[in-house]
Amino acid sequence: MDKKEHPVVKKKKLTPDKCIVTGKGEWYYPLSDIYETPDNFTILIDMPGVGADNITVDMQNNELIVNGEISQEAYTDEKVLYNEYNIGHYHRHFILSDAINREKIEAKMSDGILTVTLPKAEHVKPRKIEVKEA
Amino acid sequence: MNLIRWESTDPLESFTHIQREMSDLIDFLSSTPKIEGYVGAEFPQVVVSINKNSVIVRAEIPGIKVNDLDVQVSEDILSIKGERKPNVSDETVTYLRRERNFGTFARSVMLPEKVDAEKVAASYKNGVLTITLPKAAEKKPKQITIQKS
Repeated sequence: MDKKEHPVVKKKKLTPDKCIVTGKGEWYYPLSDIYETPDNFTILIDMPGVGADNITVDMQNNELIVNGEISQEAYTDEKVLYNEYNIGHYHRHFILSDAINREKIEAKMSDGILTVTLPKAEHVKPRKIEVKEA
Repeated sequence: MNLIRWESTDPLESFTHIQREMSDLIDFLSSTPKIEGYVGAEFPQVVVSINKNSVIVRAEIPGIKVNDLDVQVSEDILSIKGERKPNVSDETVTYLRRERNFGTFARSVMLPEKVDAEKVAASYKNGVLTITLPKAAEKKPKQITIQKS
């Protein structure tokens, strides 16, 4: 009998090679919703604990990069007895197509939710073509 | 007469092999598909911490109106109830991706110490609910003087 043990094989995790976040602290992927209206696409991202000042929304090439940093000073002088969630920074990125008017992207933050509004470019908006009587 | 050669030097080695196989099997059976986010988890997720004077309970509940939250303390139980409502209705928009959940929630946390229910303070900032519960006076250590007879 061959006694050689098989090594534990794990699926290799591919790290996103484009925007590796460096710095202190843990980074998490926040949950997000994306919905479409006739004029816009909207991305909603849950980032509890992040204030409007600590969010950066960047456009790099085709990527919309969202980083939210959290301050961890609140836990000083406290002993944590029970912990269900970890505190960490948030990072998420989205690849945008040409259907978005990049000049008019807007972002706002309220109660831990970041709302990014991505207006559709003129050429993808539904357009009604009038039928003329000949 | 046939002689059977004892391959393994340690007779217990086969047991360790069985043990390993069993633990692999248990790992396999107990590995439920990983559920992301709030689904299946208690919502809201809480952190209970303690400092010199009070017990602090934090909960991450992004995007809720303060009026939709109900926080109650009775004896040593803290209960948080509420409803998380989407700010757009399904009919007006087309969802392309949905990870966030909505609906009513309720949960209770047993407090590690007796607290003064009258002085409980709660605040909601950036989607995090923080409840500060001052410890009851009787729980604070009382110095006892020893009399020499």
